Amino acid sequence: MRLGRGHAAVEELPGSPFVPMAVDPRYSAPRATIDPDRDKSWLRRALPIVLSHRRTFATALILSFTGLVLQVQIPKLLGDAVSELGRAGALDHYVRLVLVLAVAAGLTGYVSRLCLMRTAYSIEFDLRNIIYEHLTRMSFPFYDRVQSGQLISRANSDIRSVQMYLTFAPSILVQCAIAVVAFGYMLSISVPPAFVAMATMPFVYVLGVRMRRLMFPVSWLIQSRLADVATIVDENINGVRVVKSFAGEPRQLRLLARAADRLQWAYVKDADIRARFTPVVQNLSQLGLALVLLVGGYLVVHGHLRVGDILTFSFYIVMLQAPFQMLGMLIMMGQRAAASAGRIYEILDEAPTIVDRPGAIDLVECAGDVRFDSVDFSYLEGGPLVLEGFELHLRPGETVAMVGRTGVGKSTVARLLSRFYDVNSGAVRIDGHDVRQLTLASLRSKIGIVLDEPFLFSVSIRDNIAYGRPDADFADIAAAAEAAGADEFIRQLPAGYDTVVGERGYTLSGGQRQRIAIARTLLVNPPILVLDDATSAIDVQVEQQIHGALRVLMRGRTTLIIAHRLSTISLADRVVLMDQGRIVADGTHNELMATNPLYVEVLAQAADTDVDAAPEPVTRPRGWEDGPTGSPPFGVEGV
Amino acid sequence: MAWSGGGGVFGGAPGGAGFAGGPRSAANPGGGLPFAGIPPELQAGVDKLLTSEPDHGEPRARFSYRASAREGRRLTLRWLLFEHWHLGALAVLLVTVVSVANQAGPRLIDAGINHGMGRHKDFGAIVAAAVAYLIAIVVTAGAQHLQVRVTGRLAAWVMNDLRVKVFTHLQRLGLDFYTDEKAGVIMTRMTSDIENLQQLLQDGLAQFTVQGLTMLVIAGLLFSMNVRLALITVVLIMPALTALSLWFRAASERGYDRVRDGIANVLADLAESLHGVRIVAAHNRQRHNVVHHRNVVGEYRDANMYTAQINAVYGPGTQMLGYLGSGAILAIGGNMVLHHTLSPGDLVAFFLYLNRFLMPIQLLVQQYNTYQQGQASIIKLRTLFEVAPSVPEDPDAEELPPIHGEIVFEDVTFGYDPTNPVIRHADLRISAGETVAFVGPTGAGKSTLAKLVTRFYDPGQGRVLIDGHDLRHVTVGSLRRQLGVVPQEPFLFAGTIRDNIAFADPEATDDQVWEAIRAVGLVDVVERMPAGLDTIVHERGQSLSSGERQLIALARAFMARPRVLVLDEATSNLDLLSETKIEAALDVLLEARTAVLIAHRLTTAMKADRIVVVDEGQVVEIGTHDELVARGGRYAAMYATWMSHSDADPERAH
Repeated sequence: MRLGRGHAAVEELPGSPFVPMAVDPRYSAPRATIDPDRDKSWLRRALPIVLSHRRTFATALILSFTGLVLQVQIPKLLGDAVSELGRAGALDHYVRLVLVLAVAAGLTGYVSRLCLMRTAYSIEFDLRNIIYEHLTRMSFPFYDRVQSGQLISRANSDIRSVQMYLTFAPSILVQCAIAVVAFGYMLSISVPPAFVAMATMPFVYVLGVRMRRLMFPVSWLIQSRLADVATIVDENINGVRVVKSFAGEPRQLRLLARAADRLQWAYVKDADIRARFTPVVQNLSQLGLALVLLVGGYLVVHGHLRVGDILTFSFYIVMLQAPFQMLGMLIMMGQRAAASAGRIYEILDEAPTIVDRPGAIDLVECAGDVRFDSVDFSYLEGGPLVLEGFELHLRPGETVAMVGRTGVGKSTVARLLSRFYDVNSGAVRIDGHDVRQLTLASLRSKIGIVLDEPFLFSVSIRDNIAYGRPDADFADIAAAAEAAGADEFIRQLPAGYDTVVGERGYTLSGGQRQRIAIARTLLVNPPILVLDDATSAIDVQVEQQIHGALRVLMRGRTTLIIAHRLSTISLADRVVLMDQGRIVADGTHNELMATNPLYVEVLAQAADTDVDAAPEPVTRPRGWEDGPTGSPPFGVEGV
Repeated sequence: MAWSGGGGVFGGAPGGAGFAGGPRSAANPGGGLPFAGIPPELQAGVDKLLTSEPDHGEPRARFSYRASAREGRRLTLRWLLFEHWHLGALAVLLVTVVSVANQAGPRLIDAGINHGMGRHKDFGAIVAAAVAYLIAIVVTAGAQHLQVRVTGRLAAWVMNDLRVKVFTHLQRLGLDFYTDEKAGVIMTRMTSDIENLQQLLQDGLAQFTVQGLTMLVIAGLLFSMNVRLALITVVLIMPALTALSLWFRAASERGYDRVRDGIANVLADLAESLHGVRIVAAHNRQRHNVVHHRNVVGEYRDANMYTAQINAVYGPGTQMLGYLGSGAILAIGGNMVLHHTLSPGDLVAFFLYLNRFLMPIQLLVQQYNTYQQGQASIIKLRTLFEVAPSVPEDPDAEELPPIHGEIVFEDVTFGYDPTNPVIRHADLRISAGETVAFVGPTGAGKSTLAKLVTRFYDPGQGRVLIDGHDLRHVTVGSLRRQLGVVPQEPFLFAGTIRDNIAFADPEATDDQVWEAIRAVGLVDVVERMPAGLDTIVHERGQSLSSGERQLIALARAFMARPRVLVLDEATSNLDLLSETKIEAALDVLLEARTAVLIAHRLTTAMKADRIVVVDEGQVVEIGTHDELVARGGRYAAMYATWMSHSDADPERAH
């Protein structure tokens, strides 16, 4: 697959009169993005982002080096001071120097850390926005392939590990560079104890690396077993009725206890690995101190070293331990970051397949003439054809109901109309324009689709309805809700139109969600309307009420209704029956009833399900019990 | 919460130089998100690790619907630890050894300097000090090694106990608990609330003790060397560092709250954009959403910058305090050495101890967070344990003998909320072997009546009897083992098809499972599956059609060979083939059993021996289809509507 428009320079999504925009940008967009050249190493590809923060980053590194150089002086000064205690005025001099250095090191430390972290978080900000923006460009075939859960999870931890490495690797390297300076100081005092002092450092590093190499699998194993436990609990909660019905409690407990045992083993394993390494890693510096005492002491006895120098060496040993430990960490971080970057680039390197063609025109005026011209379509390249030689014509202002068995491809027709997918062959035309010759934004602004599974966002109902027109005023919003039969129940909610719904808010019933989804589409006022099983979960009685409003709204609009219910079909001027990827019958309901056995069969099946007045669970989030309120009386249809 | 660990790399090793704080074990790979699987690059390491895993054998935990007296005890940290007191005692001993032996070093350097490098040069004294130091190191390392192993085991065992205990309790709780409490909250109790304690038990308590003891030991040593200098050190540095650390803790807690909220918003926004991608595209919202997301990510960055600010003050700040302290000791101690009130060796030891004194203060303050979180979790878990099961097993409950299946409702009144009864004075008798269909409008109480039969709830008034046994006086297990329930929405566990079907009887043989599969007509479906019976059913059964899932639920009920079957008919649209299959399966399933059908379709209801019309919590009509139609009541009206509906045409509808 070729790269689409390169993302070397950040490119704003194109604005257009059809694209709603009602949010103030409070933060500026990333200034750089990932280098699109896939032959470069992952670090080189990320470089533009790092470089776009070069000023802060360079300040951080330079100051952190300065700060460390200042700090390295202090042990030396303390040691010298102890050695030269007898000299007049020496003490005051050293004390003053130490205090000045302490303050200076503190200040540079503060500024350098601040700059370093500013860089880190800015890189994270950039990466998150770049990925998000890229995802919004992607087309549906991409979303059919990837799992959103994985995407989110990956987007999160992978961004972190890349950002961490990009920022902290240089900083750790600076800290290690300081080890060289300190070593130089020690050598200048005395060579043998300098080597003795440094002798343990490689072990600190090597052991640290080995420990992490062993620890990482364990900590992931722990994570995965924690997830196992969580899965058992989750299933037990969701399937609690099955568990209770079949007296499955002992079995569930056994499952959990087994998972807990496995988790326990992993934790013990973790402890055992730490037990092997921690004492050594932590005490290596002590070993260094003891050796310095021995070797340094020998030199002091023979007059080659001063007592204060022992103090200096001791300080350095302790001071240098951390960088060497981190050096080990750096390698692990690098490996993880490379893998993470690979996964991020995998997403970024994928180009959207459904984009505006060069020279695409805006669909400004739309009469609403819809035509499918011998359309072939399959979701997968080379996969089974869902539509085969599909022909359908909707005249401007006409309302057509499409009927067919489950899985016959009715929803696909709606998706092709909005150009969520491109046809394999043939064409979808609106007012004679092939939809592929139109800009996506203008095309989609003319088509209102209400899906059977109405997705609401975790924002207020008001904002949900205004999703396609974020700047709509309240009167319009309420009117749309009214037309969709939603106004009444919305006003009864705790915060009315300001009630937050969706995954992280108030739970609405399927029928209520569908009504909001209808209102959302009505507000946009599109000349072409597609109702994809949009009223399936709405109480038949309520649906009747909506129909009145819908009839008015459909006037002058081209409407395609995908439905099972007779009552819904009754809204249409004409019915088409779909089977095996094409329209097999076309006519009024009565004509089809009289002539087409398949039609009768499909409808009979749907009708049978409706007797119970299509249960619409009440809004309170009580599990499976149908609530005592709001239940419609028997006689279903307004015959 | 795992997220707070996110700051670890930034805020870690707060003292910077001088502190050999051990690397933290929890690599926190998940970052507070649902586990996304082990990254492929680490899989090999994990596989290697797994080769050393022994077979854990059968777990010891046994389930009983009744809590034993021991289980009813109040949940406290102390009590949890008490169960493994011998390990705890060992841990305390080891921790003490570590704290003391670890501090020998500077004192020995001091001795080496004073006795070997002073006026009398004596290399022997230096060697002695160095050897003593080496011994101290070996002792420290050995004790540390054992301590990590012991506390690791202690934590792992206690956590295992706790998981089993909490889960056992959850299993005892009634359906009302699961409907009233949000699933997420229950989940949290079993996951993060317990995991919070892991940190505390594995490391926190030991660290608390080690650091506390270390401070005492060092203070003791300092005072033994020179009281004045020790006092000055303690008075000058300790308050300043403690104040700084307390400020840091409070500020970073606030900061991390913001960070947590920030990342939660970022991820929620991302998740919603992905889940609602069709809506986003249909409404041309991409550009708007990109800007919105940028704002959300920006707020998250600001929150991070706030914590960065705090960390940038604290890390270098403590370091600076340490150096300033060294300067002070140099000024004061140096003068003392000049006046011969302090030996040079003691001065060196003071410097070295000062460094070691700073760390415990910082660590203690930080560990306090772990402790607080642990306590908060304990309290939440304790509250959970205080919830009593709503359908408790009577202490004198008897095993329900094999039943024939006669069900009697005697003047039953029940409400989920007792003040608002859903069932009012219901009387009903279902004979053994009879199939009865409940029909009625949504919310009339059909399902509730069924739930009283399975004793998911106890009636507020009146009795429910099976074969003359009041359900409240028989054991829960013996009752439910003789019942089969098919819920409206079939729930499949994320296991194999075999496990799902053999849910009621995990010991069932393959032949028995196949028999059930044959009975419901699933043979061709299972045979088509790549791994047959061992095919893993995906989460929420996504890989199966809804008809197939219902058939599996029926097979599951068949497998239980219940005397009484309670079936809540599915309302979802099915294709004709599945429909036919399910009807056939039902015929097999209902044969020679007492069956309660919650019917949503009249075609189903008509098949029953008798139809019970339920409305407003009361049984309003009972009889066969023909009788009820002849009677001309509610059912007759429903039937008439349905008849007109099934051959209705849209023109007539208006």
